[in-house]
Amino acid sequence: MRTPNERTLLCIGAAAALLVVGALVGSYPAYLLGLAMVNVIAAVGLNLLVGNSGQISLCHSSFMAVGAYSSSLLASGAGLPFWAAIPAGSVVAAIVGALLGLPARRLHGIYLALATLGFLQIVQIVVEEFADFTGGVRGLNTAKPTLLGSPLTSYGVYCVVAIVCVLAVWLAINIKRSRIGREFDAVRLSPHAAQALGISVARVKLTAFALSAAYAGLAGGLFAILVGFIDPNEFGIAASLRQLTYIVVGGLGSIGGAIVGAALLSGLPELLRPIKEYTDFAAALVLLGALLFMPHGLASAWQRLTPKPKATWRGVPA
Amino acid sequence: MPASFYVQLAIAGISVGSVYALIALSIVVPFKASGVLNFGQGELATLGAYAALVLSQFGLPYYLVAPLVIASGALIGLMIERALIRPVIKAPAFTVIIATFAIGLAIKSAIALHWGDTPYGVAGPFGDEPLVFNGLRANPTSLWIVLCTVAITALVGGFFKYARPGKAMRAVSINPEAATLMGIRINGSYRWAWGMSSAIGALAGLLVAPVVGINPEVGGLILRGLVAAVLGGFTSIYGAVIGGILVGLLETFAAVGLGGTVKNLAPFLVLLLLLAFRPYGLFGSREIHRV
Repeated sequence: MRTPNERTLLCIGAAAALLVVGALVGSYPAYLLGLAMVNVIAAVGLNLLVGNSGQISLCHSSFMAVGAYSSSLLASGAGLPFWAAIPAGSVVAAIVGALLGLPARRLHGIYLALATLGFLQIVQIVVEEFADFTGGVRGLNTAKPTLLGSPLTSYGVYCVVAIVCVLAVWLAINIKRSRIGREFDAVRLSPHAAQALGISVARVKLTAFALSAAYAGLAGGLFAILVGFIDPNEFGIAASLRQLTYIVVGGLGSIGGAIVGAALLSGLPELLRPIKEYTDFAAALVLLGALLFMPHGLASAWQRLTPKPKATWRGVPA
Repeated sequence: MPASFYVQLAIAGISVGSVYALIALSIVVPFKASGVLNFGQGELATLGAYAALVLSQFGLPYYLVAPLVIASGALIGLMIERALIRPVIKAPAFTVIIATFAIGLAIKSAIALHWGDTPYGVAGPFGDEPLVFNGLRANPTSLWIVLCTVAITALVGGFFKYARPGKAMRAVSINPEAATLMGIRINGSYRWAWGMSSAIGALAGLLVAPVVGINPEVGGLILRGLVAAVLGGFTSIYGAVIGGILVGLLETFAAVGLGGTVKNLAPFLVLLLLLAFRPYGLFGSREIHRV
């Protein structure tokens, strides 16, 4: 639809707009916006795995936990600055993702769902039981991020989150249009045909798991410096389902959908603040409603409104 | 350690495992019939536990509470199948899996809304005085759970082997099109499967209520139930029950020999190892699917 340069300019514009908005609104709205952007990073990563390569993951929040805990521990234990600790946490998450991808290569459907669910439980238990490192169920206060010796203000943290978020989205757009992205599509649409065309399905699945885990780890590291506190509850099965809700509501496989879904639904708890106890119930109904009545998400509604005579993410109609 | 110590541990493991076995059974039945794995099954057990709570607050005796809980479980299963599962049953695996998760989450949060997080206790049907033979002790509630598990397993096994709807369900699971041509209603089979499995789930909730207390987290039992089902091979009724008991024994012996952390981790490590090397379980039929 647009040339690569136009897309890059659009991303730079979006980043500038986000920085200005963050400076204009108060500190609490900026904090909420920051959380929404962390969710956007996680959702875009999950969408590459679930929406594009067609795998099932119930443990995206665990990779977020791996990123959050490893970057926090690297920052407080090894004294790494945040700009090194967060990418390092993302790399650790990607390695763990690749390790999980090894057995997951051969699995599909419910078996893949079960394997990822089992992995989620293992991460939860490890975080809870090794309390000497992780703080266990009581949680962990993360070190305040500093830049050039002076501590970052809350607007500074917001800027870091905004810039990384836009970079992550820009990268995802380009990955989707690269050879890797095309391979993801091929594996989702027909693993057999993909294999016959010389695409190693096992390698593509491994790449998809590692890549989406890297996104989740990045989101986790940013979450840790944004909130300043992490505990295992934040990364349980409920969080994984929340992230899946973002991409189901937004539209599987669509980056725009993932952004809109994550941004809209991040506002849900704020919207329901007067009736806070209904948040979980409402989240479950949103997910169920989206699956039953809008299985292709908001992205498909958008596509219907703006018809174009070209192949969509669902592929060329056979 | 004397041998009786190990026997005592085995008794504890089998009683815990029986609960997992029941949950595994309630997971395997609809999977066998319709290929749908209900990740919300644990919440049906939670519902069973709360149904038991409500009914016993009306002052009903246990022998009336139990059948009513089972019947209400079956009814809820039928409603879920008709309203929420049938519309998505032809959708991709992802949609169905997430839909069952969402159903479980909705039930759990609705329960938490109404009853809050406070745990309720209920007394078992036979009191708490342990039975002692030859120096071995057993809790009557645990024995009752084991007994019920054995009875339900026999019942379900017999149903699939001899009863007409059971045979129809097996036919549907092997080849839905051929079954339809033979005059079997596929939807009828699915209905039977969901009604049965929810009834078993509710019974599991009723049975564990005196042991673990009644709270919205009872449904967490499903995780062990899933491990048991995978261990048993997902399509095998008896495999699921044996799997449940194996998980119970594994947890109990790991807790004594290797400590609490290993006890908590063990079922899930076994799950990942199984899925990596023997995804069709110890007793299931091999489903070859290469890409």
